[in-house]
Amino acid sequence: MRAAGVISEYALFGAIAQMRYTEPVATLDADVLVAMPSSEGLDVLRPIYEFCAHRGYRPEGEAVRVGAWPVQFIPAFSPLTQEALEQAATADFEGVSLRVVGADYLAVIALSVGRAKDQARILGLLESATVGREQVARLAARHGLTEAWRRFESRFLND
Amino acid sequence: MTDTLRLLERQAAWQKSRVALTWAEKVRMAEAVRESVSQLSRGRPPAASGVPASKDPPRSLPRQQ
Repeated sequence: MRAAGVISEYALFGAIAQMRYTEPVATLDADVLVAMPSSEGLDVLRPIYEFCAHRGYRPEGEAVRVGAWPVQFIPAFSPLTQEALEQAATADFEGVSLRVVGADYLAVIALSVGRAKDQARILGLLESATVGREQVARLAARHGLTEAWRRFESRFLND
Repeated sequence: MTDTLRLLERQAAWQKSRVALTWAEKVRMAEAVRESVSQLSRGRPPAASGVPASKDPPRSLPRQQ
């Protein structure tokens, strides 16, 4: 898809990316953060859906079914997610090289979203020691999330 | 300490030990329960026969050699 110019960059994120760093977690879909060559128009994901349909991968709700997984393509929607995409690591998945969002960015994106499952994700990442509190605090501060991090620490981490 | 607490501690230790699995193994575990989670989230009990209710049966990822 990148070679065909449909997307300019991608990285796995969400629960599938989280599992690179933590114990396994239940999830319904696989999330892929994407940067598009052009973000003009209302339907920025259309080229992805057309590319997939041409290869027999059918849309399923807001996702595209690939094997067992509904795959949701999510355009980088903020400076934080754009940076997460740029800084993504390359990881090996059984011989396949994949780009995956780093643990620090996963934690801070989860902080910015703030649902219960996002809070559990932050705790899982911290517990796995793949990211530290200072690292999350610094990244959160750079993206205007200091207050959200302070609230999270106060609620879940401070005795 | 009660037996229940010991059981919970053992379970927590077992869960934490799964961090050491490979990424692919963890994704396969998530894939194995995905259909059940999906049915539960739709308010339906998972199929008792073990046969997925979806029209598209899950295709397993390639096994690690």
